[in-house]
Amino acid sequence: MNSIVEFFESIVMYFEGLDVDFVLNSLSLLLLGALVTLKITLVAVSCGCLIGLFVGIAELSGYKCIRLPAKIYVDIIRGTPLLVQIFIIYFALPAILDMRIEPYVAAVVACSINSGAYVAEIFRAGIQSIDRGQFEAGRSLGLTWAQTMNKIVIPQAFRRTIPQLGNEFIAMLKDSSLVSVIGFEELTRKGQLIIAATYRSFEIWTAVAIIYLLMTLTISRFVAYLEKKYNSSGNSNK
Amino acid sequence: MIVIKGLHKSFGSNEILKGIDLHVKKSEVVVVIGPSGSGKSTLLRCVNYLEVPSSGTITINGQTINAKTNINQVRAEVGMVFQHFNLFPHMSVLDNITVAPINVRKKTREEAEHNAMELLVRVGLAEKAKSFPSQLSGGQQQRVAIARALAMEPMVMLFDEPTSALDPEMVNEVLDVMKDLAQSGMTMMCVTHEMGFARQVADRVLFVDHGKILEDSAPEEMFSNPQHERTKEFLAKIL
Repeated sequence: MNSIVEFFESIVMYFEGLDVDFVLNSLSLLLLGALVTLKITLVAVSCGCLIGLFVGIAELSGYKCIRLPAKIYVDIIRGTPLLVQIFIIYFALPAILDMRIEPYVAAVVACSINSGAYVAEIFRAGIQSIDRGQFEAGRSLGLTWAQTMNKIVIPQAFRRTIPQLGNEFIAMLKDSSLVSVIGFEELTRKGQLIIAATYRSFEIWTAVAIIYLLMTLTISRFVAYLEKKYNSSGNSNK
Repeated sequence: MIVIKGLHKSFGSNEILKGIDLHVKKSEVVVVIGPSGSGKSTLLRCVNYLEVPSSGTITINGQTINAKTNINQVRAEVGMVFQHFNLFPHMSVLDNITVAPINVRKKTREEAEHNAMELLVRVGLAEKAKSFPSQLSGGQQQRVAIARALAMEPMVMLFDEPTSALDPEMVNEVLDVMKDLAQSGMTMMCVTHEMGFARQVADRVLFVDHGKILEDSAPEEMFSNPQHERTKEFLAKIL
């Protein structure tokens, strides 16, 4: 009985020092960090989509000299931790190239290259899932290979991969917290900095977690909406 | 119009076509029949290079197809209709028909759409221009597919079992469009199991078995007085 009372007393004591100013200040800093997180995720996944599109198509190429480099890229990136990739780009590369890289640049480059490998696999599977007859129909009409990919195959593959692309976006949003280790001030790093100044570890980490959660929930709702919208516009493939 | 000489096609060690020689004249309607696996679809697919021949030459309107010629240019002159329609599910009926004229023939959108509407009237589907393929019945989809091929104003039309995937009551609406087309003077090669169509419309019927043309004759001749033992067997089974 006594220990329970002590437990609640300790909790009450812990929160006694909280004041409105602290909450508002921290919150606005964290929200700024969240914006930065959102921004780096958007840039990384957009670049990732661009890389992934070309690499994904390259993986399906009939030419080994195109297919092989694409496979190697995907294997290396997917087979090594993002944290190590960030270290290599921020610490290792500048060391041998004798230059400095801004944390922002290193963060964007590392996340984009990482995302590109995952998106490549998503697009490769998406393109492979399109019936071969679609490609043949396009070619039989005289469309070139590029026109057929561009107008016929990729639009259908893209619609089909919306759920996986949404997952990739959410995964990248969370994984971008890793760039806090090179001092890039996104959401997680902002949290660390506030805690370093105030020692309020419990409130800040909880707040950081809730902000991540709100962002990922919003995105997954939006992806579900997109999925529904494209599936209802009469384009189910046989 | 189409001249095929010594056409061979193998998939790995499996030889599908074992030397096909064929001459299709302008405005001629040639129906290809034969048991499944005989190579009739492969023959058709070689004509527009969807399958690359192992050896032999195919000449369309004086232009011999090989790796050096512009295959896209030849394909634009050869319309193809598939067993499974292969309409583009993410495009409206109108866009399905205009995508190739706009991108290959470099027509303006208005011109292509005007032309597409005329073709839709011709196949009896003008009111479906804004629909998506998934909203159409199989027979309607196949008629759209024919309109799509015709939009390129091809010199030759290839039909690869165009009615095999259809419900029985929809077969005739597609065959009617094909008859119409034949009467308008289109050069056509059809792989089909519709013997009624072959009898009515074809100028020549080819019987293909084991990768060779065993018999090549007028439809009355083919159906009433088949020469080859295999042809007799095959016709006895299906008629």
